[in-house]
Amino acid sequence: MRFMEARPDGRAVVYAHIQADSLVMRAGDLLAAASTVQRLLARAVMNGESTDASHWRTIFPTLFGPEAPTPGDPVRDRSEAILAASLEVADRGEQTRSQFRGAIVEALAERLLAERTGPVHRERRILFDGRPSEIHPYDVTVEREGGAEAWDCKWGARGIKGDVIHQLDDARRGATDEGGKLLVGLVVFDARRSCEVRLVRERGPVPLEGLRLIALEGLDRLAGRRPA
Amino acid sequence: MSMTIADLIARALAAFDVLAATAEPLADELQYLTDLETVWGARLQEVADARGAEAAPAGSTAAIWALEAEAAAIRDPHRAIDWMSTLPQVALAALGEAA
Repeated sequence: MRFMEARPDGRAVVYAHIQADSLVMRAGDLLAAASTVQRLLARAVMNGESTDASHWRTIFPTLFGPEAPTPGDPVRDRSEAILAASLEVADRGEQTRSQFRGAIVEALAERLLAERTGPVHRERRILFDGRPSEIHPYDVTVEREGGAEAWDCKWGARGIKGDVIHQLDDARRGATDEGGKLLVGLVVFDARRSCEVRLVRERGPVPLEGLRLIALEGLDRLAGRRPA
Repeated sequence: MSMTIADLIARALAAFDVLAATAEPLADELQYLTDLETVWGARLQEVADARGAEAAPAGSTAAIWALEAEAAAIRDPHRAIDWMSTLPQVALAALGEAA
């Protein structure tokens, strides 16, 4: 099993600029230390219609209401910072917003994984002896001897599709065939309940036992932490 | 008028139905839409059954009303089906429930 840089095409070059955008970095940093409800705030705002901050503060009383931490408290300040960053994403056109959201989930996964293990890489292909090389790059990989991991990151449950599941399972089986081990999984910035129904419908003949699913409520597991 | 958790769940379910109607043109996603209706409808009903008679927690009534307005403002079917996953989670968070 070998890891390689993905061959950059035109789309990848454009996307690389988004991945390196300071807004993506800031959102990734904020969400890595966020609670589940703060992450839910980010998902709602980045996918919402309204760009009025007070509207969102009303929708999330546990973060901004009378019984929430007051301004100046680090938890409240993080909620405000996540709201501000999320509104910046929402304020962009639909296509750009979509690209930013995807890049933010990858940045978040990278940060959480790096807390537990490493080194963590982005956009890498995995090659196996005697198998045709896969063009598909995995979003985030850990290339540690005896503890390799490959993760695909999705903004929403609808990103869980049969081809994605198949590619991850294929990589896992490739590693097993070589006598090695590769942990594979999906990181989805969406509700676990929605991801599970999607996964069951899209899996086809692929057994799900070897595939990890990390949904919004369980993101801290990537870092080896209990969900906040 | 003071609201109960059952009242707010009923409003959240109505907003959820609005999203489902907006998402309906996505013929390829009909199965997923139906699955979302099944699992989230059941989860919200479970909370109504367990805590329906309780008074709504502080801020939750305004939260659910604002959530209804957000759902009604969504016109794009793709965004609507994505919100069918988000709205129940947000409503549950406002009521102090886990997803």
